[in-house]
Amino acid sequence: MTSATTSVVLQSSDWAYVLENADILFEGTVETIKLTVLAMVLGFLAGFPAGAAEVYGSPWIRKPVWAAGVGLRATPILVILVFLFFVAPFATSAFVAAVIGLGFRSAAYQAQMFRGALQSVDEGQMEAARSVGMTRFQAIRRVIVPQALRRSIPGFQNEFTIVLKDTSIAIILGISELLGVTEDLFLQSGRSGAALELILAASLVYFVLTVTTNRGIEYLGEVYEIPSGEST
Amino acid sequence: MSDPLLRVDDVYKSYGDEDVLKGISFEMDRGDVEVLVGPSGSGKSTLLRCVNRLTEVDSGDVYLDGECVTAPEADVNALRREVGMVFQDFNLFAHLSALENITLGLKHVRGFDDAKARERGHEHLERVGLAAQAESYPAELSGGQKQRVGIARALAMDPKLMLFDEPTSALDPELVGEVTSVMRELAEEGMTMLVVTHEMGFASEAASRMMFLDDGRLVERGPPEQLFRNPQHERTERFLERITRLHGEIE
Repeated sequence: MTSATTSVVLQSSDWAYVLENADILFEGTVETIKLTVLAMVLGFLAGFPAGAAEVYGSPWIRKPVWAAGVGLRATPILVILVFLFFVAPFATSAFVAAVIGLGFRSAAYQAQMFRGALQSVDEGQMEAARSVGMTRFQAIRRVIVPQALRRSIPGFQNEFTIVLKDTSIAIILGISELLGVTEDLFLQSGRSGAALELILAASLVYFVLTVTTNRGIEYLGEVYEIPSGEST
Repeated sequence: MSDPLLRVDDVYKSYGDEDVLKGISFEMDRGDVEVLVGPSGSGKSTLLRCVNRLTEVDSGDVYLDGECVTAPEADVNALRREVGMVFQDFNLFAHLSALENITLGLKHVRGFDDAKARERGHEHLERVGLAAQAESYPAELSGGQKQRVGIARALAMDPKLMLFDEPTSALDPELVGEVTSVMRELAEEGMTMLVVTHEMGFASEAASRMMFLDDGRLVERGPPEQLFRNPQHERTERFLERITRLHGEIE
């Protein structure tokens, strides 16, 4: 009975089970990465124009975009996914439903991020661009957006991390992403004892993915950093 | 050549209840260097911005080279190609090098190809004494250098008229000279310039005329000697006395 808890819960035989099924966990990881990347890309493609529309659009564009954003941000992601899967005709598979749901929800957050970044660029930049004869669109594209995108990088990093971990919610649609395969493994008969080991292993994968992508995005920020002459 | 280059005709502008410009009219010929002075809030910047329509007039008209630029059908981008502007806060494009600050407009407004734009950019950086800073970014430049890039950026577009909105007000005193000397050269080369400034040294040396604006009205206008030595209005006299004490000697 001494130190029963730890010795019972974490067992080398269970770790062996984790290693035996490394290929399955790897496939789940690939699925998680696919979901994350596709959702982030969709989120950017929809979120960036939405953010720009909120800043520069006419009221006819601004209001519906704003309303869609509020709706998406106010709805639990679980509800969004279930709704898409069971109701939306264009969500032809669980995977498509998950990408669309995670993607548009991320778009709603990314839009706010880009809106803030666009608004943070000094008004004088627009005036200077207009004063040399650039159109408003040229000024936005050539002067405002390049600066706003750089300022969005920390927020984007955050959003990436959140979406990466939220892909695990796709488990509700039966998608074999990382958490889904993890669960499948410990639900097999006689393997419930390995649940903690499996979940720890999955968590480690999430951790590694988070750290590496964050570092990657940070690197992107350094590459595109505007020289200020303060360092070096 | 009988047409004035710039004609401002009875321009009014108000922001809410505040009337900023109350019927301003004046003309400038080619090669004129006009210095616009007046107390803060007198409408100097607003007047300048009405010329290139960064601010829209409420009523009245502005003509550039005989063309009414305040008409509803006037092409505002075409107008701005002809009118360079230099800002108090420089407003250099923060993400672009000094050279790229100049080439951006050349490429996307004037339609220059990259090589030609860079060549012209280098020429204009050299003209303002910054040939060595072509690859520097705004945050790496001093205030005086930034403003000279700002002037080069506007000049490279080959404007008919240059507007200067307090170009030295944001500079440390020891950096003012490098900017005003570029402006003096420009004046000597015959550029038409409308300049809001408190640099009375520049005004007395380089200006062909001075305008004193107070409370949205043009109080007095004439050659600088006249405004300095023999002002017709007491308000002009008091203002110029005060400003000269603060901002440099008249030579």
